Amino acid sequence: MRRLVWLLALVVVVAGCATPRGAPGAMADLQPGQRPPADSDEAGLWMQMDRVEERLRGSGRLLTDDAVRGYLREILCRLAPEHCADVRLYVVQTPHFNATMGPNGVMEVWTGLMLRADNEAQLAYVLGHELGHYLRRHSIQRWRDVRTKTNVVAVFSLLAAAAGHGYVGPLAQLAALGSILAFSRDNEREADEIGFELMARAGYDPREAAKIWEALDEERKAGDESAPPIFFSTHPPTDERIETLKALAARTWTAEREWTDGRERYRRVLRPLRQALLRDELRRRDFARTEKLLDRLLAAEAGSGELRFFQGELYRLRQKDGDEARAVEAYEQALAAGDAPPETNRALGLVWMRRGDRERARAAFHRYVTDAPAAEDRAMIDSYLEQLR
Amino acid sequence: MRHHGWLAIPVLAIVLVGCAPPGVLLRDRGFTRPADPVRVLIMPPDVELSELTAGGLLEPKADWTEQGRAHVAAALDRHLEGKNATVVRYPAPGGDPDPADLQLLKLHDEVGGSILRHKYLPVLELPTKRDVFDWTLGPEVGRLRERTGADYALFVFLRDSYASAGRVALIVGAALLGVGVPGGQQWGFASLVDLRTGDIVWFNRLVSPTGDLRKAEPAGDAVKSLLAELPL
Repeated sequence: MRRLVWLLALVVVVAGCATPRGAPGAMADLQPGQRPPADSDEAGLWMQMDRVEERLRGSGRLLTDDAVRGYLREILCRLAPEHCADVRLYVVQTPHFNATMGPNGVMEVWTGLMLRADNEAQLAYVLGHELGHYLRRHSIQRWRDVRTKTNVVAVFSLLAAAAGHGYVGPLAQLAALGSILAFSRDNEREADEIGFELMARAGYDPREAAKIWEALDEERKAGDESAPPIFFSTHPPTDERIETLKALAARTWTAEREWTDGRERYRRVLRPLRQALLRDELRRRDFARTEKLLDRLLAAEAGSGELRFFQGELYRLRQKDGDEARAVEAYEQALAAGDAPPETNRALGLVWMRRGDRERARAAFHRYVTDAPAAEDRAMIDSYLEQLR
Repeated sequence: MRHHGWLAIPVLAIVLVGCAPPGVLLRDRGFTRPADPVRVLIMPPDVELSELTAGGLLEPKADWTEQGRAHVAAALDRHLEGKNATVVRYPAPGGDPDPADLQLLKLHDEVGGSILRHKYLPVLELPTKRDVFDWTLGPEVGRLRERTGADYALFVFLRDSYASAGRVALIVGAALLGVGVPGGQQWGFASLVDLRTGDIVWFNRLVSPTGDLRKAEPAGDAVKSLLAELPL
């Protein structure tokens, strides 16, 4: 039994030896224009990602808006001028918060992230984080880590079985899994640091980095979702990431230097897209999260009829106690603001109809068909008007 | 932020070894060997080769894949030239396939995968598909016919893996203990698609614990066995 404990300890130690950043033997960063040799394991990962990219190019969910793509590219090149020619950036229209980076230089930015970033500095930090994965070659590091640890477990399980202790195999598997995920968390910490360094070097206000995680954490808490236990997490706890980034910002930010958060420009670029992104967001039916998001957007832009309209939509669709009254209030604020989409009157009409107020419903539907006489659902609305007569 | 997952495990391939082979599948309405030579478009074969690590992971290999793809493409050409068919090669050799064609290749991967699961694995049999074989890629394939003038298209999907030295040692060690550990494996499928309708008129699959797509001759054997009963 004693021997067994030693064996198990060996697995954990071998499985746990991630090379720290900058330590001797650590992998060299990817150089501009560098490609792995064709017979290497790294080339295999690149090949697989090339295939993913080829298929991504034909995806119907890609955002083809040149202004937005050009804008993101510009930020990317500002962060890593020497590498920006090697990175292909794809904007994927999906309401979830994410960005991904492949070893071959294929970067995905999801629109759920763009909707949530408050300014260019926050977005730059996330792009920098992804660039960190790329420059530090985290994909191949992780693959080698997983390969080594699963090999060790396979050999260990066989030896343990030969010694008559086959039952410890699952324990070794669990130890390896824990260690693989710990390695992943270390990669994420490193990418956070690099993202921070790149954004600050490019002159973006470093205090913005922590804020995007704070906003996200607020949404998660509102949704009453618990984070997975640390043992099973691929990423470090959000609190830890916020603390680390705040500490870095406190060391880096000085009043003498001029920093930018690029908020105005960011809003200008995002504005033409925002309505479509908010529609996608509502389709998640994750009302608690979306409510927090809208609150945050409205705090910065209280007079926006567009945002008020979506707030109304959220209440109308959620149908909790008091939501009808809240929806009516939001729609009315939207109409008063002046930049509400024409559907605001239709939505208001639907709520009044549901509440049995025929007169108000009719008035709202009338305004809708007057504002949008060629609307797709014109016949439907006309039939409502007929019924409400 | 996530990475793309690399941990694809060939569960399907392993499961498939152990099941009863229904053999070649033919379209319900029947497909008869055409009297006159038909024009067959060979789509770019979807081939990927990997190494099986001791721990059981598949590590994709770029150089092997390139060799394998070239051997398979050449073997497909040779095989069809010996048939009652005029070979039409996919346009833009070496270049990227057209994005809409890529959608068709993706679709074939999915449909072929469904056929494998639901026609070859009795436990996953679908009641509505029990006695029928009516899978189709849909009329969108007509674009290939318009562009190339071909009557049929041949889609091929192949995966091949080889045990690493560590895996071989593990297999031997486990065998001494009386435990069977699987090694590398070759598997895949091919469809002949009628470009007028999109219907899959003929389908076959290949599962083999041996073979080597990295070399011309065994790659030719694999293609021959996959297309053995192609009714052309």
